[in-house]
Amino acid sequence: MRQALDRFYRISGGIGAIFIAAICVTVLIQVSFNLIDRIAQLTTGKAYGLVLPSYAEFAGYFLAAGTFFALADTLQSGNHIRVNLVIQRISGKARRVIEGWCCLLGAAFSAYFTYWAANHAYESFVFGDLSPGIVPVPIWIPQVSMILGLVALTICFIDLFAQVLAGRDPDYLSQSEEL
Amino acid sequence: MEQVIAGVVLVIVLFALLASGVWVALSLLVVALVGFLLFVDAPMGLILATSVWGANNSWALAALPMFIWIGEILFRSSLSRDLFSGLAPWLARLPGGLLHVNIVGCGIFAAVSGSSAATCATIGKMSVPELRQRLYEDKMIIGTLAGSATLGLLIPPSIILIVYGVAIEESVARLFLAGIGPGIMMLLLFMGYVVVWALFNKEKMPEPEPSVGFVQTIKQSGSLIPVFLLIAGIISSIYAGIASPTDAAAVGVFLSLLLVWFNGELTWESFRDGLIGATRTSCMIALILSGAAFLTVAMGFTGIPRALASFIGDLGLSEWELLAALTIFFIILGCFLDGISVVVLTTAVIVPMVEVVGIDRIWFGIFLVLVVEMSQITPPVGFNLFVLQGITGENILKIAVTALPFFFLLIVGVVLITLFPDIVMYLPNQMNR
Repeated sequence: MRQALDRFYRISGGIGAIFIAAICVTVLIQVSFNLIDRIAQLTTGKAYGLVLPSYAEFAGYFLAAGTFFALADTLQSGNHIRVNLVIQRISGKARRVIEGWCCLLGAAFSAYFTYWAANHAYESFVFGDLSPGIVPVPIWIPQVSMILGLVALTICFIDLFAQVLAGRDPDYLSQSEEL
Repeated sequence: MEQVIAGVVLVIVLFALLASGVWVALSLLVVALVGFLLFVDAPMGLILATSVWGANNSWALAALPMFIWIGEILFRSSLSRDLFSGLAPWLARLPGGLLHVNIVGCGIFAAVSGSSAATCATIGKMSVPELRQRLYEDKMIIGTLAGSATLGLLIPPSIILIVYGVAIEESVARLFLAGIGPGIMMLLLFMGYVVVWALFNKEKMPEPEPSVGFVQTIKQSGSLIPVFLLIAGIISSIYAGIASPTDAAAVGVFLSLLLVWFNGELTWESFRDGLIGATRTSCMIALILSGAAFLTVAMGFTGIPRALASFIGDLGLSEWELLAALTIFFIILGCFLDGISVVVLTTAVIVPMVEVVGIDRIWFGIFLVLVVEMSQITPPVGFNLFVLQGITGENILKIAVTALPFFFLLIVGVVLITLFPDIVMYLPNQMNR
């Protein structure tokens, strides 16, 4: 179970990373198109007018997907920042109560958020909303990344809460240096 | 009156959440939700989904992971060594000697990377051991590094300026342009301070470096060429108007990878670690920004920013009085929160307020960055202090004391840009025509 969950967070984070890399690739293709056009303009006097359709829009979707897929991995590895000023002075049982509160609040909120993200995407689907660019994409498709990422985040918060209940330090504490 | 109660309640809830260790982004989201529950009658679930989706699905924000990635790639490369050996022969002759390598090195790295922690870590990794070996005063080694690493936030590309620009829907390219003048000004201030300090404390300075001769100097500078090409590639494409910051950032990632590959340092592990690190950092910041986006909408519904803005307008404060008050407020806030959270939290409420007094929002962004830089080197939550603690092994308080002169220089910087707003506004104003 433990291993399966860890792998789940890593894979989800890996998908996020691939989307981040995809932003770079998309933009680079467009930039090289611009470059080819510029050179063609200079040598033949005529540009091809090469464009990667809606590339800015796609970069935005990739960014959103990258962020949402990486949420759980970022949480578990202790990369979401928090104010440690007060809680670092507290240890033992009281500290465990605090960590439990944080994880429980996180689980409740992300479950609520997941529901509304799904609702949001469902509305886009029902109304057949299309993206405004040259290539009209049904907007619910990129919005699915928000749902999936939030589902993973909710699972991660519940997992962390269970760890606190089991009486051990949640993963984000052991994996990050105490700032 | 209702707004006063709402404001006080929400501030208390926010601080209670933050103090109890709830993640910053989650605290922002939850406090906005509380605001809706108590004071606003609106479909909050749907607003939550649309505002967070809108904040993340953004072309301008796509520059953020790219610039973070550049920092991650270069941090894992031999760039810090190249910078040191290339800069040292040029700067060794100035009073203050190789201490200037810290300052200029940070300035150069800041021009390719957007984060002050990455700047601090990359430059410090090489310069701290080298300078210690040459018996420079420890206080000055750490102080110059702590101070000038904050330039990572000011000299474009800058993560904080991207976040600020996206949050207030202002052109990131114009904000970047605005950061250049003040960035150079702070570099000169820092170097000037080191020169003066070295002249007054000759007995504390180590023997000057043996002169290596002009030919050798030029030869060693060869190691600087790749990084200068990288800076030129990124900066010039933005400023020539060819590329948006996001385009330039993607090109920067490509050039950095090329550079590392050319040096034979590109392995699958370093590539993967860099990408994952960038994804996590970017995810963390994007989630905070999401929280802020939702909070901004909630705030708009409660009417608190409008009430506060008209209150400030009625006070009839002068620009100076308002800025002095805000500086103190931000420094205090910066003691508890990191820079990005400070920027994101305040834009919703304070930017409308300062515009009432007639302060330009681009100028205010630079002001905000300078003040946030101060908070990076003040305890207890100064991010650069933690990085330096890792590099030097000294405790936070001692590092903070060494950084104190640079804290005051940043205040001088704030006064200077207030006296001469053109230091900030000259370049972006040129872009308009």
